[in-house]
Parts: sequence; structure tokens; C-alpha cells
Amino acid sequence: MNHLQLAFRNLKRRPARSILTALGVALAVGSFITLYGLSRSVQQNVQQSFEERGTDLTVRRRGIAEPFGGTMPQSIIAEIAEIAGVEAVSGQLLSFAATDNDDHVIAFGWAADSFYWEDVPLLEGRLPRPGERKVAIVGKDIARTLDKHVGDDISLLGDKFRVIGISNYTSIINRNAVVVELADLQEITFRTGAVTFISVKLAPPGGAEEADRVTKAIEGLGQFSVTKSEGVLQNDSLIGLLSAVSTSMAWVALLMGVLMVLNTLLMAVLERTREIGILSAIGWSKERIMGALVIEGFILSALGSALGVAIGIAGSRLLSAIPAIGRYIAVRPTPGLIVATAVAAIVLGILGSLYPAIVATRASPAEALERA
Amino acid sequence: MAAKPLVALDHVGHSFDDGRIVALKDVSLTIAEGDSVAIVGASGSGKSTLILLLCGIRVPVTGRVLWRNRPVADPQAWTVIRRSEIGIVFQEFNLFPTLTARENIEVAMFGTGLGASERRRRADAALETVGLTDRATHLPHELSGGERQRVAIARCIINNPKLILADEPTGNLDSVNAEAILDLLFELKRARGATLVMVTHEPSYAERCARQIRIKDGNVYEQRARRARQEAM
Repeated sequence: MNHLQLAFRNLKRRPARSILTALGVALAVGSFITLYGLSRSVQQNVQQSFEERGTDLTVRRRGIAEPFGGTMPQSIIAEIAEIAGVEAVSGQLLSFAATDNDDHVIAFGWAADSFYWEDVPLLEGRLPRPGERKVAIVGKDIARTLDKHVGDDISLLGDKFRVIGISNYTSIINRNAVVVELADLQEITFRTGAVTFISVKLAPPGGAEEADRVTKAIEGLGQFSVTKSEGVLQNDSLIGLLSAVSTSMAWVALLMGVLMVLNTLLMAVLERTREIGILSAIGWSKERIMGALVIEGFILSALGSALGVAIGIAGSRLLSAIPAIGRYIAVRPTPGLIVATAVAAIVLGILGSLYPAIVATRASPAEALERA
Repeated sequence: MAAKPLVALDHVGHSFDDGRIVALKDVSLTIAEGDSVAIVGASGSGKSTLILLLCGIRVPVTGRVLWRNRPVADPQAWTVIRRSEIGIVFQEFNLFPTLTARENIEVAMFGTGLGASERRRRADAALETVGLTDRATHLPHELSGGERQRVAIARCIINNPKLILADEPTGNLDSVNAEAILDLLFELKRARGATLVMVTHEPSYAERCARQIRIKDGNVYEQRARRARQEAM
């Protein structure tokens, strides 16, 4: 027998309590992974959708809290195109639009001459012809969800568009987006002459210095914020708020798990006062007694963490399976997040067991032995 | 040649409840290596307190406790001494309910530097010594009172203690089991050359020890045993 086996035996003594505590830790870890993963996934998925279109810089209206709510005059695109070092500029309007069966989709409006069209991975069908209006390229996932095929009609905000192509993007936002002509989306959303984002491609060789210079030049044109496309929404206030709320909830869940470990071990210590006295009587040092209790805390939090990782992964998949979420966000907790959360829970569980361990050794062995 | 002192109380006084209950008054007592000492007295006279003072579990209010002629006050030092040189047997057995007989013995070897397999080997040997080889994997509640006390004795002797403290070791046993446990304790004491200090209410058990110490009103009175049955000094 070793210390680990001894700790297991003690935990098995109150199986229901130990299992419930481990479950509490598991739910805390699972919630942390799911909620924290969700907040990070929002930003990651938006980034992926931009990266997939091969842009270097993304321009947004400065100071707008909603990530997709702010608009800029389309005319600014021409001014940005004049900046030295800029190879191509495209604007896009974004809107969450009601579609068939009271469903909603993300709709992108692209100008006919936008460079976005150059890299559209078509699964089937074709791209719009010059001057062609009221036609749509539908992402493969939303096409499957809405059962749309090339030649079908799709409704956006009550207007009918004909599906002429199915795109084969890989990012979840693009897989669920419907792309139409910019002027059409401006018309049906009453945002004539406006765009939500402007994407900038730098002329080769580009580079960080060139990107900084162009960024400053664009920001000099007015109230615009420019970010590298891989960092889009990184400093967005609404995303930041979402992230802060979910992170706070995640931490609260984790701390509750730690408190459960603390409570369980404290009760165990109070119940086993006499046994702790016996351990002291047979020559166990205070440190060894404390260590034995900390091992129990470690086991509880380690078991809880292992189960919590499974719950977190399952919870993330469950969230992704909810259409209202999964259509825009693939909640994918990273291995780094999973490992960090599990390790943090174990460390916090060990810390949570320290107080009961100190309590255990604070009473004199004589008092402990005399306690019935 | 006189036996070397093993443990001694030097003008030790002890009280409870902020001095309102006096257990021991200015007690000086020396127990030498190889001694067998019975501590007798009425209930609540301070017998168990004396046992706990002799192994450093209780700290005297006044006076000092000496181990091999050296005063020991540090609880950590007492922990080390208890682990390596003192074995204690309690009236209530004090076994860990979730551990088997073998594991209850192994627990006493934690911190001695022995590996798990050696701890197991020694625990099995101790069980054989107390005649419980076939009960090694039984939990305490699966054992009789006598068997539990045998396990407690095996745990007590597992680290080859120089001093065996037995606090009413037969208090919860019937007379047949009590005699058997006493025989075992004295046999182990003799075989290992240990010192035995035993609290008992039973005069016939006390008479098996070479020395008898009576505690009354906080004072200690020593008397020679009228006879020391089975005690081979």
C-alpha cells in the first residue's frame, strides 16, 4: 500500500460524497472549457472567415460597439485604393437576414468588381455574371440546412434571390453565409452606399512595416480602425464583453468546484479527527498527515478534471449542435485551453485541500485521540 | 549493572481546564530499558495522561520528560521517537476502518524509508507473529475484538520499538482473549527486549509486571509487584 492507495481508501469511505465532489469539479471544469472556448471561438471563427478570403488588413468604423453593426461610406474604398502599397480593396456589407421558414442567415454583399469573387471555392454552379442582380452564392452548410440547390430561390428579408452557386468554404461562418451583389444587399437593408468591412490586400512584398504605414494612412482618412485580418475583432468591445462575461462565469464555476473540494475535505477531517490523532500517535509527522489529505484533494480534483474535460468537449459539441449557435460559431476548445483548465483545477483543488489539511494538524494529537 | 533509563518524568505536573482539574502533581519517575511497569489507579486518576506524557503526545504543564536521559520538548522530535522507538496499543484498538489488517500495520511504517514491498513483507511477518496470517486481508469490522487487538499489537511492534505503551489493552476483551493478549504482549516484550508500560484496572494483570505504579490524587506511588508471573527479566 502507498499514500495514493491510502487516499483512495479514505475517499471510498464516503463514496457518494466523493463522487458528488468529483462531479462538482467536473462540471466546473466542463463549464470553464465550454464557456471560455465559446468566447474564444467567436473571435477565431470571424478571423478564419476573413483569412479564408486572403486579405491583409481589415478596416472597420471606429468606435462602434457591435462588431457587425457599424457601417462606412462605400466611397472610402476608392480613397484607400489610392494609398501607395495597396494592391486591391474590397468592401462588404454584412447583415443577419431573415430567410425561408423564419430562419436567419448571414448575408454578405460584395461589389461585382470585388477581389473576393476571385477566390470563391465553388462546389457547384457558377459565379454572377457582370451586371447580374438578385442572384446568390450559398454556403454548403446553409444550403444543406435549407435544402437549397442551384436553380432554387432563396428569400432574404422578403426578397427572392436565385441560387446560382454553392460555395465550399471551410470556415463555419462562410459555410453558412449567403453572398449576393453589394447593391442588392444595400437595397434590401436600406443601407445604400454603405459597407461594414473593407478588406485591403497589400502589394507584394508587403510586410509588417508596409502594413503599419498603410494602416496609418487609412486611419488618417477618418474614423476608421484598421487591424490585421488575423487580429480582427481582437479589441472589439462587444466581443470583449462577451468574453469577459463568459470568462467570469467560467471562473465562478471553477471556484465553486474548489470550494466543494475544500468542503468535502474539511468534513472528512472533522469526521476523522481521532484517526488523525492515531496517525500522529504512530509517528506520522504533521507534514505527512497534511500530505495525505492533499493527496485526497489531488485525487478528487484530478478525477473531476478528467471527467470535466470530457464534459467540456461534449458541451462544446452540444453548443455547436444548436442551430442558433452552431451556424456561426464552431465551439472548439483548444488543446491548450483544455490542458490549462485541467491543470488549474488540479492546482486549485490542491490549494483547496490545504486549509482542511492545516485544520487537521492544528489540533493536538492528545485532543484528537480523546475525541470519540 | 543498573539498566539504562529509557524514559523519565522529571517533576512533571499536568492539569486540565486551566488548572481546575489536576491530573498529576510533581511526578518524577524513571522507566529503565527492559522494565515492565503496570500503571494502576481509579478511573480518571491520570493513568492515560501518564501514558500520553511518556510518549510526547501530551506536553507537561510543568516539569520535563527525558528520553534516554535527554529532555525532549519539541513535538517533532517526539514524532520521530514515536515512529522509531515507541509502539502504542490502545483500549479501543484504534484501527483504521477502511484498511485491511495488513494495511493497518503498513501505515505505521510510512515515513520509515522502507519501500512498499518491504513494508508488506514486514506486515505479513508481524501478522504471523500475532497469529493472524489468514486474516491479513480482512477489514477491522470483519475481525473479533481479540483479533483487532492483535492487529493493533502487530502495528505497535512493527518498527521494533524500545518502549511499548499499552493503555488498557484488554479493556474491551473477555477474560480468555485478555489473557491471550497479555501473553502475547509479554512474549513480545521478552523476545524483543523491549520495555512495557501498561495501564490496567485488573490487579492480576498488573501483578505480571515487575513494577507497579499507582496513581492517586495526582501523586504516584510505586510498589514492587508481589509476583511477576511469566516475567523473565
